[in-house]
Amino acid sequence: MDPKMDSGMICKYYSVDEAIENGAAPIPLSFDRTVDVQCTIDIMDHLLSCEATWHRGHSLAQTVFSCIYLLRPDRTSSHALLHSYCSVIRATCKAVIAVVSDARTHEEEDLFIMAYGLPLTGDGDDKCLSMLNAVEETICRQLRACKSPLLKNRAPEDVEPLQNSFDLEEHYCRALLCRLRFRKHFYHVLTCMRRPQGRGLELARKHIASCLLELDLIRNSSTFLSNNSFGKDDSEDTTTASGRQPLGFDSSLNCRLSAPTPPRAIKLLSWKKALDYFVKLLRDLDNICSYSLDTFLEGVFRFVVQFQKSQPDLVARSLLQFLLVQDGKLYGRDPLYAVITKAAGLPESAKNHENLKNQYIVQLGQLVINLLRVLCTNSAWQRRKLGKILQDWRVIYMQMEMAFKKDIAEIVSISNGENAWMKIFQHILIWVEEQTYWISSRFLVLGFELELYSPSDYCMVYWYLSVVLIKLVEKIHLRALMNNETGKRKGKKKGASKDIGKDFRIPPAVSFLQCQVCLAEGLVMMLAALRNEHMIAQSPSPFNSEYERFFQHFELLQKACIPDNITYDSYEQSTRLARISNLVTYNCFKDAQKIAKELKSSFSNDPEKLVELRRIEQVAEHNSVALNLIHKVGGLDPSLKISFEFNHHPYFGTALVKRS
Amino acid sequence: MESKLDGVVEEEETRKVQFDASEIEYVSYGGEHHLPLIMNLVDQELSEPYSIFTYRYFVYLWPQLSFLAFHRGKCVGTVVCKMGEHRGTFRGYIAMLVVIKPYRGEGIASELVTRSIKVMMESGCDEVTLEAEVTNKGALALYGRLGFIRAKRLFHYYLNGVDAFRLKLLFPRMESHPSLPLMANAADNQRDNDGL
Repeated sequence: MDPKMDSGMICKYYSVDEAIENGAAPIPLSFDRTVDVQCTIDIMDHLLSCEATWHRGHSLAQTVFSCIYLLRPDRTSSHALLHSYCSVIRATCKAVIAVVSDARTHEEEDLFIMAYGLPLTGDGDDKCLSMLNAVEETICRQLRACKSPLLKNRAPEDVEPLQNSFDLEEHYCRALLCRLRFRKHFYHVLTCMRRPQGRGLELARKHIASCLLELDLIRNSSTFLSNNSFGKDDSEDTTTASGRQPLGFDSSLNCRLSAPTPPRAIKLLSWKKALDYFVKLLRDLDNICSYSLDTFLEGVFRFVVQFQKSQPDLVARSLLQFLLVQDGKLYGRDPLYAVITKAAGLPESAKNHENLKNQYIVQLGQLVINLLRVLCTNSAWQRRKLGKILQDWRVIYMQMEMAFKKDIAEIVSISNGENAWMKIFQHILIWVEEQTYWISSRFLVLGFELELYSPSDYCMVYWYLSVVLIKLVEKIHLRALMNNETGKRKGKKKGASKDIGKDFRIPPAVSFLQCQVCLAEGLVMMLAALRNEHMIAQSPSPFNSEYERFFQHFELLQKACIPDNITYDSYEQSTRLARISNLVTYNCFKDAQKIAKELKSSFSNDPEKLVELRRIEQVAEHNSVALNLIHKVGGLDPSLKISFEFNHHPYFGTALVKRS
Repeated sequence: MESKLDGVVEEEETRKVQFDASEIEYVSYGGEHHLPLIMNLVDQELSEPYSIFTYRYFVYLWPQLSFLAFHRGKCVGTVVCKMGEHRGTFRGYIAMLVVIKPYRGEGIASELVTRSIKVMMESGCDEVTLEAEVTNKGALALYGRLGFIRAKRLFHYYLNGVDAFRLKLLFPRMESHPSLPLMANAADNQRDNDGL
């Protein structure tokens, strides 16, 4: 049959019981104790591959719960080693499902949490750690015994060896110990990270470090295990360290249970890839645990955006979301109105204002929570959601603005208390606009990461990005000025300053954005000039025009009037006259370079910003050189081919000039 | 109902057939006798599995949107589509597009899909959509040339775990852009935009 048409319903056995009756999952695995240990290790390894494959987007039923031993929790009780391992696997799966379903990051990834009908909880799974500890203790004693024969002679009845072959005893003990310990620490990591208000993060880091150590040992055990294995498969796809097929797995069994399996056989990650997956997951988790729980929202956003750059998988993203939003508060600790007043740059005293309980602030808090959640989702989903929530941010801004104007009109004689509220309200209004533009810029930038733009779209995308960034700069600047003013007024009371805003300097955050604006504008003009002078390929579509492409790309921004009065015509007009010769005279790239250079000292303590500045400098420098080159030879050489690459920066392109 | 549109991938040049573009005959779906030809081609070339009911759903309801390409009596390519209401818009949808490997790179896929899109436009569609695997450079380039944009990326969309792009082509609305001429043949003399 064509494998594409395999509905996944063809199975060897009709039920778990039938499989067991036919000897698919014997207990013990073998009456030869060495073989029994070997087979147990194979099951552990294969389960790791299954678990990683599940985390990467396949169903639990087709991966971890393809293990017959897991499906019948009671059957394994006579085999302490296998029983404790199965028990901790079930408990871990349950904990991971709880994290992901609570976090609600799984919109497109909902297959992950589906577990109907699977025995996620076996009797005694809640004691899985003590069972695991007991087994670990026994193996530790066996290891000690085989290393010192004297001890073994002293109490032979106490320490029965793990298996029959004395020469292999130490290696098998060690191979088992690292596998058991990894499970123990991993379970602890999950429990610690689930503690409220990030209280378990420090301890979680210790367990993460132990997990990574054990994973190394597990990886190293493969030399011994594969050397002592018969009937092994040496291919890279093997799901066990030994290279053997494990006993007791049948992925087709669950297709008749209620847990859903997609209508197709799946390919498991290899054992080596599964180890790599867990290393990556643990590093991502360590990154979360080392986060300092920034109380400034801007810092939180920045952390999440930075975290997403490593493309963390679902489990890590869910745990981050859990940390950020608990009980409707930031980190389960800071109420949102307090977070917002702080983010808007208002003084500490502002957060005690009774009006902060008003409906707009409550709604705004909800929007912030929603935004935090969206920022933790996979980039594809994130971009779509960011586009949609822009509308909500715009609406709340308009509602607040209306309320503000109404209040101003009503309060002709402003009493002191109301005046203070007006100030707070005004600050928050500007902050809301600032966030709206920040979300918009993130929406546009994510399009590059997701490869949603084709080269013929670059010009309009950079144009829109520059327009949004300029607005963002404006709002940040305005807020900084207002904060400065508030600060000065306060100072004035104390008689410290005479002149408001006289010694106000442009904040580095503003210059940083200005630098990006220059780069974006440079790219717009360069692309437009190349288009206008027919130096880059254009092929008008037979069915529509640039107008339709513009409308489609920016529909959500346009619908939310971000920014006001920006249309296709504004784009068309601002790029229509661009020419290479003009650009050489007024070169935006040079401005970007200059600002970037000056800014470095302001961010000497911020390695992330320094990297970004260096990248901006590189792109600006390359494009500046390219522009001059095109200006000099472009007209004379029709074979000149110009393309854009993202080798220096993830979303600011670098021109590549070639003779074809 | 989605499809990996790898029918237009031009990488594997297996046993390239020499032919003149004028030798290719394009035929609108003509009845049950065409069905096995379409099924055979799609099963051969696309990654998603479809049953006979899926094919019938498309070709019985929208026969005017399905086309086949023949070379000397042999079916070498096909396109299967539908159209209907979608959230307040009238939307065309390209379900399957296939050209067999020896015939790729000669504009057969473009011609097939252009014919379907024209019928959609004449039938009053506001837009056309489809999904394509993010790795399918050939299909992405083809649809890019026709004016489609990549509207969304769909995470782990296909059964094989690959992401998809949702591609969209918006037709001009005369009332919103009255000065716009329909540039049906303007593309011919332009340079290819893939290289940028």
